[in-house]
Amino acid sequence: MPNIDRRDFIKLVGAGGVGVGAGVVLRETIRDPREHLIPHVLAPEDYSSGVATWYNSVCTMCKSGCGISVRTREGRAKKIEGNPSHAVNQGGLCALGQAGLQVLYNPDRLTGPLIQSGTRGSDGFNQVTWDAGLGRVASRIDVLKAAGRGDRVALLTHGVGGTLATLFERFAESIGTPRLHHYDYDHPHALYAANHQFFGEQHLPYYDVKNTRYLLSFGADFLSSWLSPVHHSLGFAQSRGGDHARGHLVQIEPRMSLSGAAADEWVPAKTGTEGILALGLAHHIVASGLYRGSDADEWRQVLAGYELEKVAAQTDVSADTLEHLAESFVNKGPSLAIGGDGAANNTNGVDTLVAINALNYLAGNIGRAGGVLFNPEPAGAIPHNRQANFRDMMSLAAAARGDEIEVLIINDTNPVFTMADNPEFAAAMSNVPLIVSLSSFMDETTAIADVVLPSHVYLESWGDAFPEIGVGFSIGAVSQPVVAPLYNTQATGDIVLELAKRTGDTMPWSSMEACVKDNWRAIYEQSDSSTQAESFDTFWTSLLKAGVWGKSNHRDATVTLDKSAIAGVGVQAPEFSGDSADYPFVLQPYLSTMHDGRGANLPWVQELPDPMTSVVYGSWVELNPTTAEELSLVEGDLVNIESPEGSIQAPVLLFPAIRPDVVAMPIGQGHTNYGRYANGRGANPLEILSPLIDEGSGGLASNATRVRILATGDHVDIVKTSGKSRDLGRDIVQTTSGDDHTAQMNNIPITVIPT
Amino acid sequence: MSFLDRIAEGWRKNRKPGYYENFDYHWTMTIDLDQCSGCGACVTACQAENNLPIVGEKAFAKGREVKWLRMEHYWEGEYPDVKLNIIPMLCQHCDNAPCETVCPVSATYHNQDGLNTQIYNRCIGTRSCAVYCPYEVRYFNYNDHTWDSPLDQQLNPDVSVREKGVMEKCTFCIQRVRQAKDAAKDDGRRRVRDGEVQPACVQTCPSQAMAFGDRNDPESKVSQTLDGPRAYRVLDELNTKSSVVYLKKVGTEA
Repeated sequence: MPNIDRRDFIKLVGAGGVGVGAGVVLRETIRDPREHLIPHVLAPEDYSSGVATWYNSVCTMCKSGCGISVRTREGRAKKIEGNPSHAVNQGGLCALGQAGLQVLYNPDRLTGPLIQSGTRGSDGFNQVTWDAGLGRVASRIDVLKAAGRGDRVALLTHGVGGTLATLFERFAESIGTPRLHHYDYDHPHALYAANHQFFGEQHLPYYDVKNTRYLLSFGADFLSSWLSPVHHSLGFAQSRGGDHARGHLVQIEPRMSLSGAAADEWVPAKTGTEGILALGLAHHIVASGLYRGSDADEWRQVLAGYELEKVAAQTDVSADTLEHLAESFVNKGPSLAIGGDGAANNTNGVDTLVAINALNYLAGNIGRAGGVLFNPEPAGAIPHNRQANFRDMMSLAAAARGDEIEVLIINDTNPVFTMADNPEFAAAMSNVPLIVSLSSFMDETTAIADVVLPSHVYLESWGDAFPEIGVGFSIGAVSQPVVAPLYNTQATGDIVLELAKRTGDTMPWSSMEACVKDNWRAIYEQSDSSTQAESFDTFWTSLLKAGVWGKSNHRDATVTLDKSAIAGVGVQAPEFSGDSADYPFVLQPYLSTMHDGRGANLPWVQELPDPMTSVVYGSWVELNPTTAEELSLVEGDLVNIESPEGSIQAPVLLFPAIRPDVVAMPIGQGHTNYGRYANGRGANPLEILSPLIDEGSGGLASNATRVRILATGDHVDIVKTSGKSRDLGRDIVQTTSGDDHTAQMNNIPITVIPT
Repeated sequence: MSFLDRIAEGWRKNRKPGYYENFDYHWTMTIDLDQCSGCGACVTACQAENNLPIVGEKAFAKGREVKWLRMEHYWEGEYPDVKLNIIPMLCQHCDNAPCETVCPVSATYHNQDGLNTQIYNRCIGTRSCAVYCPYEVRYFNYNDHTWDSPLDQQLNPDVSVREKGVMEKCTFCIQRVRQAKDAAKDDGRRRVRDGEVQPACVQTCPSQAMAFGDRNDPESKVSQTLDGPRAYRVLDELNTKSSVVYLKKVGTEA
């Protein structure tokens, strides 16, 4: 027996205890953290939930600029909710905004700077330091700048606003390049052009959906994709509910959108004839004496040729319907006509939207509540004039082909995917000696870059936003980081600042944060002294807390049109590519829950059933059941969709609310290099579009391609939520007449938020 | 009242469904189908709040998706006079819940707030409740679901992650109810104020079509609409006494 005295014994026991303790600690730390989650629906009495920290910021999943509040626990973002104090979304948020967390925590994010070592487009990216990455880009710019050839640098960013837009302007100026473009697939070029042409306005007006009682929407899917869907949804709800007569919605479009499903009347006019229809209504309003303005004679002249019978024949909508729409539009006011999406993406897009403006003018809707209100000058930069339309993008490609561009810096926009109809675009890009991508993700465009300088996602960066369609008064918001950066990435603003510094323009800001703060200092100093905070610091703190800033500066607008504006009203018949005998159907690609495809790498969005068809994970082509029957196709039959430009494959989906001469496909799928959740799913309808342009705006006429449908003989099962597509007498969704509604509405206390 | 009458009275009282009337809260949701556009924001909000798994395309194709809240689509008529009716469908938190009576291990029961709750660690996965549920809003975990790292960092710590073999369903965001009650208690109030609890779906709804509140409070927003002419319950003829009340769509003459 070894000789152990009392002291040794205690030491041994102590050592053993430490060992066991360490083991327990070690096991606890290497355990799957999910095990620590509380496994109770009903928590035990002594459990108290943790305290979350909330940060207010701005959503940048689309351009609406909704305010968000992000709930964080222990430094991790847990949930995004709409900021209730933000006038744009008032607490609401769409599905894509909700899925923003999966942008932050996406497993396919780029984790640090990369340099392509192999051939362009290959997998030969090597991790490098920021210094090496930035150095490579800066040295190239420096050489060009020194040689006075700064114009050989091109900057292409997604549509940024506020401080970041100003920063890009200054950077472009310091390099000496005029080639600074913002590019978003869904930018409403035609709407800007139409408002400029008709009203002489540079910015979009505010469409007062909430106070309108009769909304005539020409193709604008304002509840899911047009301009600011969350704000419009709120307005729509306030127009229908509330302590007043219920708002009536008429949707005119060849394929029923989500807004069409919500409408009281759905009018399937022929594709591209929406403007003609609007002028038919205008003609009836003027001819029947419903319009009594002093310029009625001029209108009569310009509208000659849009008699109801003629228009009825062109649009495939009965003259009776047109007559009743025209009369209701004037008599059931305040009314409002809006146009966009499908109606704007034709070769006559601008003319169509001008016709819709004319309709608003004739019904007296300009400048009155429930009509078209003009926004005051925005408080921060909204550089619409920088937005590159389809024509600009093609001339950029031509410049690249002509060796005029040596450095191309692309910030988080994916033209190789959204310009997929033009393989020449990607080909032209390959002619640029140095392509730099600032994207947070590998995507089709980043894949052809030589240097990748990955930026923070929006939940990690400083920035600000001044929502474009606004709310009728000046509004802005600051976005702040809600979590510490996950990876070795940098904020876009900081990358720009650093590149500027390295190319000899030391800007006065040490960081993007300082830059944003400086910008807001200017806003603070301009603001009315009566509402001013004691100091800028208190202003800044309260701004970050509230997440929103606004000022009540409504603009009174009484519009007097000059004669040339009236004379410019008129809509040509739309043009289509391809012969109607060979290609019997018009293809309508529409923005889906994935927006222009950016949401395709988010599993929540992939698994979100499409709002109209409840399909998940894939593409489909929508056919009217009678069309499908004529072609002997059933749901799930794989078909080739052939246009004069090319062909893609997708399964047939029977869609009861589409014109028999139209087929529709969602945009968003068909990615080849956008991470594990997006790759190899479905098809991209943009690939087969013909490059027809709306001359008025320079935008792509995406509804102008004719296609034919050819069966492949294969069949796939479309993945969607199961269940019957008909009610079968179960009375699940019940309907009542308008009278009950009014009675009910009188009992509801509602708070209408005035603008 | 005779002795026998008193016994009969007591018996009837016990037999009467609606024992919940004696309790503090009776949570109720109203969904205005005239304002709901069917955009699906609530579906994703629910997924984010309640740690719903991403099941993948294969499992989805087999009908094994887990969506506590989903949109149902019913077409009416033929082109061109065609209408699409969309209705959000979630656990109706029936007061006479068919799923509660069928569970062999009492894993699902009615709690003191009128909620139909599922006790995950008691559930043995017989799936009888899913068969009995007329609304088909119970979802079974056919697999252990994983989150590709770092997606798991988003998981809500107030909600447990469910395992394979367990039934799950909408909880009316019970964790939010609890937090609101805690906050009220800290504030020295006995009751939660109307509007203090908002389940994730109600909170995010872009068209404010959904409302949530306490039916026992006559002043609450939901109580105001419950007896209105537009209020109805889905499959009311089954006498499930559901706690989700829909407001009818309004059809107007053109």
